[in-house]
Amino acid sequence: MNTLASSILLFVGSVVGAIGIAMALPRKGVSPQLLGALIAALGLGGIFLALGLRAPGDLPNINFYVFSLIALGSALRVISHPRPVYSALYFILTILASSGLYVLLSAEFMAFALIIVYAGAILITYLFVIMLATESPTADQVEALAEYDRYSREPIVATLTGFILLAALTTMMGVGTSKMAPATIPADAGLLSRLPRKIEKSLVEAKLIDGKTERLARAAAALGEPTNSGPYLIDLAGGTVTVAYGKDYAQRRIISTSNPLWPKDLKISNIEGVGFSLLADHPGGIEVAGVILLMAMLGAVVLARKKVELDEHAKLVAEQHALVDEQSIAALRATPKVGGVIGGLSVDNSGKASGSNGGQLPKSGVQIGGGR
Amino acid sequence: MNVLLDGLTLAQGGFPEPMASATLYHYLMTSGMLFVIGLIGFVTRRNLIIMFLCTELMFQAAGIALIAFSRFHLNHTGESFVVFVLTIAAAEAALALALVVLLFRRKESLDAAEWAEMRG
Repeated sequence: MNTLASSILLFVGSVVGAIGIAMALPRKGVSPQLLGALIAALGLGGIFLALGLRAPGDLPNINFYVFSLIALGSALRVISHPRPVYSALYFILTILASSGLYVLLSAEFMAFALIIVYAGAILITYLFVIMLATESPTADQVEALAEYDRYSREPIVATLTGFILLAALTTMMGVGTSKMAPATIPADAGLLSRLPRKIEKSLVEAKLIDGKTERLARAAAALGEPTNSGPYLIDLAGGTVTVAYGKDYAQRRIISTSNPLWPKDLKISNIEGVGFSLLADHPGGIEVAGVILLMAMLGAVVLARKKVELDEHAKLVAEQHALVDEQSIAALRATPKVGGVIGGLSVDNSGKASGSNGGQLPKSGVQIGGGR
Repeated sequence: MNVLLDGLTLAQGGFPEPMASATLYHYLMTSGMLFVIGLIGFVTRRNLIIMFLCTELMFQAAGIALIAFSRFHLNHTGESFVVFVLTIAAAEAALALALVVLLFRRKESLDAAEWAEMRG
């Protein structure tokens, strides 16, 4: 019964949200943006209320609602604001809110990487392009917006389609997530045993081992080899760490993780986990990402540059022009001066002319090449 | 204050505790709604720059879903995939915006409908 009521509420919320978004989109005639945004907020609130009714015991942190509201509200402003610059700024707000959601999901590294990469780099690129690719307003119509910013294309059909997709997604996610059992095994023990230096440092700080005379034992020394090398004797799953001490670190003792002195904060931090996952589990992905970034860089350079190739003939013509210019300037300089003040002026002029010619030479070459 | 900071484990490391599947549903709904808003924006807006901004919204939605699943399953694979999402987003932004500038130089307009004759 409760599930049925929440399902109905979920779909009603979806429909109300769809109506609100369709109203908020810019279009011909009246576009009640504020009213539309309020109705959309009501609908989205209804959706979250329905989710809460479905499982009252497992509500997320209250910050989740705050960040979700900011993210979705500013996303709505991104698509409904008629001015592109404001859209980009609202997108930054969406980024900040979703990095808040990342922090709630204990993904701190990605939260800050998101802010740096998105809000710091990508959005600045967007703002640059918005500034570059916008007609400067004429003096009599400063407030005018381009026609393609004022009217959106098929807002009602698009919203309807989008929210049918959302309803399908909602249903499928509801069925799918209710079947998933929460994970119970912490993934830390395996990763932590690959960080012997971290364990050693932490144990020294906890005064479980003496930093000067004791160190973590390695397997090869147990076989009587002179060098203390080989894999470390760390068995966190079994709850023991072996420590070597004495002359040549030949003697062993075992520390249990259930020791009261065992450091409680000895855990894999988020960034160590992400680092292991990236470099140990997905090294190929990093290579591919590097290639993609290189391709994007080259592609952007190829796309954005102007045509500057000069073929041999054009180069020859340009050089001849330059030669002729030089000769004419030299001839101009060689002409006898007429009078005091006027002569000084003419010399000044020719000097200027030669300077500007020198500056224009490569440019005229570019134009010749571009025309071909 | 305790309620507010309940889920925060900043700089302590490790996953605090398993997440309930109903909580995962909340995050997935946020992600889904963000995706749908981005999709609607991509279809309806006519400004090329805003259209690409809407694809970034959809990337964000995918990122939230990945991180939520990563938290739910208590491993870091989802987070490292968000690194790749960021990479693709950055590459896409650079290329798409270069294209937009190029198109704007030709027709002095950012209207997507201006390029309707470019159908293959």
